[in-house]
Order: sequence, then C-alpha cells, then structure tokens
Amino acid sequence: MEAHFLTDSDLVSFLNWLEKRGDVYVTARDDDGNVGIKPYSETGDFAYPGVRAFQPLKPFFFSALEEVAEYPSTESPIKESKPFAIIGAAGCDLRAIEALDKVFLEGDFKDPFYEERRNKSLIIGIDCTEPLETCFCVLVGVKPYAEKGFDLGLVKIEGGYVVEVGSEKGKVVVGENKGLFKPATENHLSQRDGVRKKTTDMVEKQSKEFKPGGTWQSVMAKAYEDNAWSKNVETCVECGACLFICPTCQCFLLYDQKTKDKYKRLKMWDTCAYRSFARVAGGANPRDQLIERFKHRYYHKFDYFFKNYEFEACTGCGRCIVACPGEIDMRKVLKEICRS
Amino acid sequence: MDEDLVPQTVRVEAIRQETPDVRSLRLVFEDPEFGREFSFQPGQFCLISVYGVGEAVFCISSPPAWKDFIEVSVKEAGKVTAAIHDLDVGDRVGFRGPYGNSFPYETMQGRTIVFVGGGIGLAPLRPLIWQTLSDRAKFKDIHIIYGARTVKDIVYKEELAEWQKRDDVKLVKTVDPGGEDETWDGEVGLVPSVLEEVNPPADSLLVTCGPPVMIKFTYVSANKLGFKPSDVITTLEMKMKCGVGLCGRCNIGSRYVCTDGPVFNFEEILSLPDEF
Repeated sequence: MEAHFLTDSDLVSFLNWLEKRGDVYVTARDDDGNVGIKPYSETGDFAYPGVRAFQPLKPFFFSALEEVAEYPSTESPIKESKPFAIIGAAGCDLRAIEALDKVFLEGDFKDPFYEERRNKSLIIGIDCTEPLETCFCVLVGVKPYAEKGFDLGLVKIEGGYVVEVGSEKGKVVVGENKGLFKPATENHLSQRDGVRKKTTDMVEKQSKEFKPGGTWQSVMAKAYEDNAWSKNVETCVECGACLFICPTCQCFLLYDQKTKDKYKRLKMWDTCAYRSFARVAGGANPRDQLIERFKHRYYHKFDYFFKNYEFEACTGCGRCIVACPGEIDMRKVLKEICRS
Repeated sequence: MDEDLVPQTVRVEAIRQETPDVRSLRLVFEDPEFGREFSFQPGQFCLISVYGVGEAVFCISSPPAWKDFIEVSVKEAGKVTAAIHDLDVGDRVGFRGPYGNSFPYETMQGRTIVFVGGGIGLAPLRPLIWQTLSDRAKFKDIHIIYGARTVKDIVYKEELAEWQKRDDVKLVKTVDPGGEDETWDGEVGLVPSVLEEVNPPADSLLVTCGPPVMIKFTYVSANKLGFKPSDVITTLEMKMKCGVGLCGRCNIGSRYVCTDGPVFNFEEILSLPDEF
C-alpha cells in the first residue's frame, strides 16, 4: 500500500487545505476525556484519538430524520451535499461503513440519499492506540487499525504520521498536496507496525475470555433455544439505545406528513427492539415477545447478515455495551450462549 | 435519482365493494406512456401512497393481460387502508412498483395446479388463476379451493361463480363453521380440512395465500397428502415498507420478503426462522 510521512505541522496544513475543499470533521476529546466528533472549524485542532469516537459515523451518510419526497413536486428531493472529510475513523468504523455500503449501495436498489453523501465523503482512518475496555473488534474479524475501507489512513508515530493511501480518492488528495507528503521510511513503517502489534495484543488479551469455540455462525446455529437468552433479556427495557448507537443498524421507517400545501415523506431511524416494528396490519406480530426481538438483534448481526455478505454486522466497537441502561454486555451474552 | 423509487400518479377509475371491509380499486396511470409500458408478473406487489397519510404494500390483483389499468384489493385494517377506503372515483394516489419476484409460471406448466385461498388471500392468486385459465391447455387439472370466514366475507363473487361454471375447473368454496347462511350452497369447514377432502394428487403444485395461520395449516395438510415442500408455494406479506430491500423491516432470517420474495416455496420457508 502506498505510504507517506506527514509531520505534525504538515497535518495541520493538510487539514486547512481540506477545509477549503469542504467541511471537515475531526475527533476531539472533551473535558472528561471522551472522544467525540466535531467540526474542525470549531476545534481548530486535531487530537489523535487513539480510539473510536463515542458516536457512530452513520449519521454522516444516513440521517436520523430526513425528507425523501415532497409532492406534488417535480423536483428531485436529493440535496447536493458539499464534499466533506471525516478524520478519525477507527477500524470498527470502517467496517461499519463497509456494511452500510453493502445494504444501501450494492443491492438491486441504491439509496440515492446515502449514495450522494458517500460520494462526497473522504474517510480518513486512524489506528487505535488506546482501546476501551469494551472493545472487541478482533472477535469479529476487524483489526484495531485502519486496514481497509478508507481513503487515507493515519498512524501516529514520533514527530508525525504515517499516511496510507487506500483509494483513488485518497491518491488524488495526496497528489494535490505533494509538498506536504514525504516518502515514508523503513523506520516510519516499523514504528507503524509496532503500534499495530501493541494495540492488537491489548484487544486480543481483553477479548480472550469471550472468544467463541467456532465461527459465530456455528454458535448461532445451535443457540436459538438456549436458556441463557431469557436470563440476559431480564434487564432490557426496550429503549433501543443499543440499536440507535450501533454503527451498522440501518432499519428505517417511512411516514408521511402534511404541510400547508404539500405532503412530505420522511425517513426516520427505526429499530427492531420496538414491539410494533414487525407488526402487520390486522395485528399479527411475528416477534411479539421481547425475547424474540432481543434474539433477533444477535441473529441479524452474527448470522443473517453473514449469510448475505460473508461478514458479521457487528464491528466489535462496544458502543451498545456502553449505551445500555440495563448493563447488558453483548460479549457476556454471547459467551453464555456459547458455553451452554 | 433511481426512477423506480419515485411514485407514479394513478387515478381511481372504479371502486367495487367486495365485502363489508374489502374494496377493489381500478387504477389508471396518469402518464399514459408509463401505463402503456407498464408490465408485471402475477405475484408481484406495489406500494400505494395516500397523500399525507402514508404508503402501504398491496399485491397487484388483476392479471397482466388486462391492459390499461391495474387493480388492487384492500382490506381495511389500519391507517393507510382506511384512507384508501375513503377514496372516491377520480381521486389520485401514488404508485410504486412492480416489485418482488413472481409465481414460477414456466415451471408450473404441464402439471395439475391446486389454488388454495382464504379471505383476501385470493387477491394475489387471482392474476395467476386468470393467466392459467387463459393458457388452459398448458395445464392438467385446475382446482380452486376458496374459503372465507362468513358468506359476507367472500371476495370476487362473480368471478368465483364464473370459474365454478367452467367444466375445466374444479372449484370448491367453503365458509368457516357458523359463517354460513340459508342461501349458502358451498361447504362448511376450514380450508385445510376441505383441501384434505378434495385430496388432489400429491404430484400437483399447490399455490396458497391467506391469513398466516391458514397458510401454516394448509402446508400441514398438503404434507399429509404427500406434497413435497418445494411443491407448496405461497406469497408472504410481512410488514414491508420501502419495498426495495433497504429498510430492514420485512426480513425473515437472512431473507427479505420484498426482494427475495414475496413468493416462496415451503422448502425455503422451512429453512428460515418461524417468523411469519
């Protein structure tokens, strides 16, 4: 993979250049040390986060609420978006975008709203150096560094960054800033490899106790009637937080709204945790019981999605663990199911 | 923008009250060119939008051979269907489609076909029945078993009478016990038991649609009669929303009713979680 070196000060120049090109979003730490994503215009700075941000990246491409049609009207409802760059996509975030691309861009029908924003995005990945206690990417085939699915990938090393080029879009951007990007030396690359090994070892170590005996599909194939589900669902309050914060959950609702002289159709995030999600007109509901909806989430992530796309729809980011008010830890649920 | 996702405008040309809570609407495309080029296969579905209320999924219940219009049959069950029942002739609604797969018409040929419908579930079978009858020589026997809760709930009464008169169709109609009245000249009993009494040969192809519980027991009866799971075909109507495989609502396991279906055979259904 094509790799360059960028000094700390040249990265700032590069971000300033990106800002002239469009919007720029960077990871930033708040006073409590939590990593979030903010407009570069607000922070004026980029703090290498070393870990995924609290929020998933999906809202950049798939809004929580958006207008998808207005009628009667002959105008396209798709608003052209400005080019934008996100700096700070961790390995799990990159996998999530890969999953969303599969659903929204690679089926029989493309989501034109998603496609527009995806085309305008420049994704800059980072390598993790400070994984959270809830991180388990290595259990779902994801690396704690920018392995693929990025335009550019940053790794913090002494005095600057190794910058990997992961796409044609990334190559063009580097080409337009030739003066900033220096050739990466053997020393730079070995520092990069050192960072990667160290973080991978950390995540491997903390994930070891949750490692399944076989593939997730082989575990799920035997687990549907397992007793462990009913114990684990006890503290679920059906809030949907785990699904809204999940970087790959992409279910939505369409509903119509009347305005003064027109009608609008709105698309809004929805979740299979809600009882009415799969209910049909007439009242029948294939997942009427909470436990059925609870299991459905795990089965979608670890079995159904895999059957369609050959990778899990869980990225191991651990956001659902952090978000759950019932303290439900996906890793522990899966461990108990594996055991019995 | 993907033009398949943009609704067309259709005008309600005629309304037929089938039962107290089912209406059939005859719809004509406002754009005559689109209407002329519009084609679909029996089993495919569409989405109808009532402006300002919402959009819902319906099978196209008229056969492709009926040109210049399409029909949908709508049972009042929720917000959108109630709004459809409030429509008058001349009103306009949005239309997207056709979507989904269709009945395996080519592979049905040369065989005995058993249509088993319940209630409004006759709607998706109706275009297939008419298509089969227009190609009558290509099939062996044709059975139609149709049941409704009560005499009042029978849809397409005139067409059922027309099919019953034909000597190349074996039609049995039934109502659930207690649903008969003094004029009733059909059977009294649940559809799966009537299927067992009719006892069609096990190498026939059975196509069924009705309430989920009827579909499940029709399969049980067909199985008892010796039908292979792959010879029992149904069309599922899980809660579809976008119609194009994106919104995540209608999945049964790894399959999506809207893009992998709505037509499935029981060999496929038995490999999925029991969620329909």
